[in-house]
Amino acid sequence: MSRWFWKKRAQRDLDLNDEIRAHFDMAVRDRMARGESQRDAEDAARREFGNVGHVKEVTREMWGGVWLERFRQDLRFAVRSLRRSPTFTIVASLTLALGIGVNTAMFAVVHGVLLRPLPFVDSGRLFVPSYKANAFGPAAAMFDDHYARLERDTSIFDRVASYGTSSLTVTGLGDPLRVSATRATSQFFSVLGARPALGRLFDESEATKDGGTSVILSDALWRRRFNADRSVIGGSVVLEGVSRTVVGVMPASFDFPAGTDVWQPWRVIADPKTNVSFIPVIGRLKPGLSPQLAQQMFAAYASHLPVVDGPPRAGLVAALIPLKTVMVGDVRTPLLIFSGAIGFVLLIACANVANLLLMRVASRDREMAMRAALGAGRWRLIRQLLTETLVLTSVGAAAGIGVALATLRLLLVLAPQNMLPRADGIRIDPWTVAFTAGLTIVTAIVCGAIPAMHASEQRLRASLAAGARTVTGGRERLRSLLVGGEIALALVLLTGAGLLVRSFERMRAVDLGFDSRNALAVTVDLPSARYNSAADMREFDARVLANLNAIPGVESAGAINWFPLGKGGISGNLFAEDGREVPSGYNVNALSVSPGYFRAMGIHVERGRAFTDDDRTTGARVAILSHSVAEKFWPGGNAIGKRVASSEKPDPSDWLTVVGVVNDVKGRATSSRAAADYVPLAQTNFPFFLRRVTFVVRRHEAAATTPVAVATTRILREADPNLAFETVASMTDLIGRTTAEPRFQSRMLLTFSLAALLLAMIGVYGVMSYAITQRRQEISVRIALGAAPGEIIAMVLRRTTMLVVPGIVVGLGASYALTRVLNRFLFQITATDPTTFAFVAGILVVVALAASAMPARRAGKVDPVEALR
Amino acid sequence: MVSRIELLQGTLDFIVLQTLRWGPRHGYGIAQQIRANSNETLQVDTGSLYPALHRLERKKWISADWEVSENRQRVRVYKLTAAGRKQLAVERSKWELLSAAIAGVMNPPVAESET
Repeated sequence: MSRWFWKKRAQRDLDLNDEIRAHFDMAVRDRMARGESQRDAEDAARREFGNVGHVKEVTREMWGGVWLERFRQDLRFAVRSLRRSPTFTIVASLTLALGIGVNTAMFAVVHGVLLRPLPFVDSGRLFVPSYKANAFGPAAAMFDDHYARLERDTSIFDRVASYGTSSLTVTGLGDPLRVSATRATSQFFSVLGARPALGRLFDESEATKDGGTSVILSDALWRRRFNADRSVIGGSVVLEGVSRTVVGVMPASFDFPAGTDVWQPWRVIADPKTNVSFIPVIGRLKPGLSPQLAQQMFAAYASHLPVVDGPPRAGLVAALIPLKTVMVGDVRTPLLIFSGAIGFVLLIACANVANLLLMRVASRDREMAMRAALGAGRWRLIRQLLTETLVLTSVGAAAGIGVALATLRLLLVLAPQNMLPRADGIRIDPWTVAFTAGLTIVTAIVCGAIPAMHASEQRLRASLAAGARTVTGGRERLRSLLVGGEIALALVLLTGAGLLVRSFERMRAVDLGFDSRNALAVTVDLPSARYNSAADMREFDARVLANLNAIPGVESAGAINWFPLGKGGISGNLFAEDGREVPSGYNVNALSVSPGYFRAMGIHVERGRAFTDDDRTTGARVAILSHSVAEKFWPGGNAIGKRVASSEKPDPSDWLTVVGVVNDVKGRATSSRAAADYVPLAQTNFPFFLRRVTFVVRRHEAAATTPVAVATTRILREADPNLAFETVASMTDLIGRTTAEPRFQSRMLLTFSLAALLLAMIGVYGVMSYAITQRRQEISVRIALGAAPGEIIAMVLRRTTMLVVPGIVVGLGASYALTRVLNRFLFQITATDPTTFAFVAGILVVVALAASAMPARRAGKVDPVEALR
Repeated sequence: MVSRIELLQGTLDFIVLQTLRWGPRHGYGIAQQIRANSNETLQVDTGSLYPALHRLERKKWISADWEVSENRQRVRVYKLTAAGRKQLAVERSKWELLSAAIAGVMNPPVAESET
């Protein structure tokens, strides 16, 4: 349409010229007919006609579609005028590129993780039926026996499925490989609406309690391990030492639960009498049933389920949670907080650009006055200036996409593993580009509106006379206001970052109860196919420990089944033969350790003794309690020699004699569960308690780490060449991993707030140095009248303080209102911690004064002779 | 000196339509006619006249054609359309109502309760 449009438009312009020309000629001819000379007639006609340009302009406005033409004109003019001041253009568009770029990156993350629908058919109808209870944390799960009933009941869900993930070992093709295996009930894939890329899904008949004999591979594993060989279907793969048949391969788009390498057919057989567990469940709502109604139905349904033996079920709240909420649950709030923070950074950048624009506008008063005189209306001038800003923000946005790409790469590298679910969907896609386009326009309006309105207002006051002193009062107030706003925003960000940093420091200062220095750890899972008895596994542990202790430079080595810094664990009730009654919900971590464990961990034996090699299968059964358990049962410290058991009515042989008390240990600063009872690995007979083992190796302080780590790896390889295990890691690193999220969060917010601080500093510097340029005359008069340079500098610094203090006051108020969103992430510090607030406000004052130091010095050096000019 | 009155946009539209009732005219002709008919009281500013003509044309109340004048110059001549005629009738009756009302306000019938 456009070419036709412009051609027609050009023709109409020519016509209008002719029309006006004819009007003018006729007027002249009439006047000459009345006897005026040609010259007089032309002059008079011209006077009478008025401003030809203006007449054309207002006539054209009646044509419609004129805005397009205007926009083109404005655009061309904007580009020309920006080219004339390259420094301004580069500084402003770089500022905007940073602001828009990081916001684009953040949007890509928010869209990829939070907004994008799940990649399942009709994913809005997928819900997680779950029981929420504080004791069990935020995990969305329900009792297996209730799930078994839900499988048969179709009043709420079309179909339901459950699943569980574990880490297994694939052997037989090259190096042993740790894979993430998901056991899935028979409806699992159909609930999600997934189809295999190759082969078939599981048959109902294949499902067993422990994962059947067939597997489905993920696209990733199929490519990595089987070179995308299509004949893999019907072939076999050795999983946990057992050969299983590959029946299917899922497409790359199917990744649920995230990171799964193989799926196994599973059947939930729940016996509420013996062992009740919490399992995750997913369900697809029955067609036509509204989520609200389903909620009510599920609540009613759950309340009618029979309550049998097992863990206490009082206080559980049944709810249907959308699958997406469960999948992104933990990361939602931090992402929204980051988005807000990064939005603040953009606002501050906008304020800076607005300030630059105001400065620029000040030097264009004459141009504006000229344009007004030539017939431009006020709205027209505003539009013109806004177009200029739009060109600026567009250039910024184009560069910003590059910034966004870089930021995203950095973010995905720096973010702790597993912190971001659905990270594969984070990219610059059409949605992101649309967001950036929208943001560009909004930014242009936010940056440009105030300067544009201001400039168009000033035109009336501005004079065409060259020497006239410009009126700067209003503009200076505006600029101060903008900088005040920047200070307030920066303060909010700094306060948030300060709180997180302090909270993180406190977290690190917590005594975890063991000594992480000079210690290494490595975790192994022993596959049931090759280690089917407790004796096999105990033998393995003992053999490895003996070799570890023999490594030169090793002080001691120990083993534990559920390592405090690892995942998983079993907690249960503990009963004392003669101890005080404890509340029925009192749970204690049940751990099995080798004799050297406490020494290797640096755990202090407070009373009694550690385990010894004499605590054997055949020997008397013994236990060691952690400090808080001992105090709970026998306050005052006389637990040694008492007897405990893990069930209320134990067999006589189940009683354990307490031989020692050790200090409490916890895996992370934020966890409160330090209560533990330890038994010797050698006296642990239940294979389940021996499947996983972590070896802890403490070296002498003088010994180097690497040889010990290498030796440890070699010993494990030699002990069982088919064992896959993670890299031997230093305990300090492992602790670092448990605090990776808070560290990442505090660093992110710190980065944003430092950027904000820098921008605010630039803002203060800009305002102060401009103000001084404007007041050189006044300053030189003061100096001529005897003011010392020191007084002038003091005056500038006073003005800076006046500029900054209102911003700080507003910022403190805003922080007080806003930092509570961080509450959930703060450890041992309140969201309104006065020390942090005061400290941050102090930093801002100092930084602002530093920013104005240079302008102040320049002011002090003004030559009094200038007063004479 | 004759005092001149600035015309409001709506009034100008009405006057332009009214002027074209006596036949097609070009812009200059319309301006002259209005001036003459109002005894030089109404001075139509070109900055108002041309936007008004182009606006009325866009509303399809008048239409324009190019003709060649006696001095062999291309001139744009406007004439009233059927829709314009209808609009003029509407404006006219509104105008009559208004002027009667204003006349009434300005010269009220002699009131009994004048103090």
